[in-house]
Amino acid sequence: MSEVQRRKYSQEEKNAIFDGEFMPHIDSMYNFGYRLTFDEDDAKDLVQDTYLKAYRFINSFEQGTNAKAWLFRILKNSFINEYRKKSKQPTKVDYQEVETYYNSDDVHYQSTSDLRAESVKDMLGDEISNALNSLAVDFRTVIILCDLEGFTYEEMAKILDIPIGTVRSRLHRARNLLKEKLQGYAQNMGYNTDSTDEEDE
Amino acid sequence: MEMNDNPSGEKKMQCSDESKCLELLESILDGELQDSGKEILKEKLAKCQPCFEHYHLEQAIRDVLKTKCTKQAVPTELADCIRQKIQDIK
Repeated sequence: MSEVQRRKYSQEEKNAIFDGEFMPHIDSMYNFGYRLTFDEDDAKDLVQDTYLKAYRFINSFEQGTNAKAWLFRILKNSFINEYRKKSKQPTKVDYQEVETYYNSDDVHYQSTSDLRAESVKDMLGDEISNALNSLAVDFRTVIILCDLEGFTYEEMAKILDIPIGTVRSRLHRARNLLKEKLQGYAQNMGYNTDSTDEEDE
Repeated sequence: MEMNDNPSGEKKMQCSDESKCLELLESILDGELQDSGKEILKEKLAKCQPCFEHYHLEQAIRDVLKTKCTKQAVPTELADCIRQKIQDIK
């Protein structure tokens, strides 16, 4: 949320922005909240909190800019500042720790998987969804923002308050982790994960 | 990134610069390179088998994430509840 108050909207303008630009994103917001918390009530609280904050700080929203990204940023911050604090579940490994460990943005791109596109296409929604949900929240978040919601790297950088290079490297790591999970499922289901089968001929 | 001038049209079975190619392919898939990406992509996929396979795997993963991670149904009362709370603070 920008600290700069651009100008004051009239009550009519506020209503128009809220109904026309904020409320249409409620489905995506709820989906994001649910995939962060895995709990319907927590997701509802997060979304409601986000909309109340959005209304309260509506003067710092510049009309015509990306309302969805602005709302996602508020939700993400609420999740980190409030939900995670009061949540009883033990803190999982978080961004900073993971990234320090991996030595930040300097990722060597490599393909880590024998997974086949055909196996992935045959997988059920539950398997894909479980694989995504099993990732640590920071990796899960970038995949949700990029692949489910279609944000650009630049928008993601703003939502997450991290440099674009970090978005890129975190996404790459997140996808590799996701592929490992999917490969595990593929093997369990007896799909062929050998990369040298008939298609290569 | 090395361009492969292979007149026979056969694909390389080994990618000479895999790390760079993967980074590039991922940027293209994420829509970060727009038009300039399409040309490079066509060239890559036609000439390099590892790039071809990687691209299709990554594409498949993005597709299933988008289509199969079903949107959670939003509780019907949520929007009304939010509007009510906004009314209260106006």
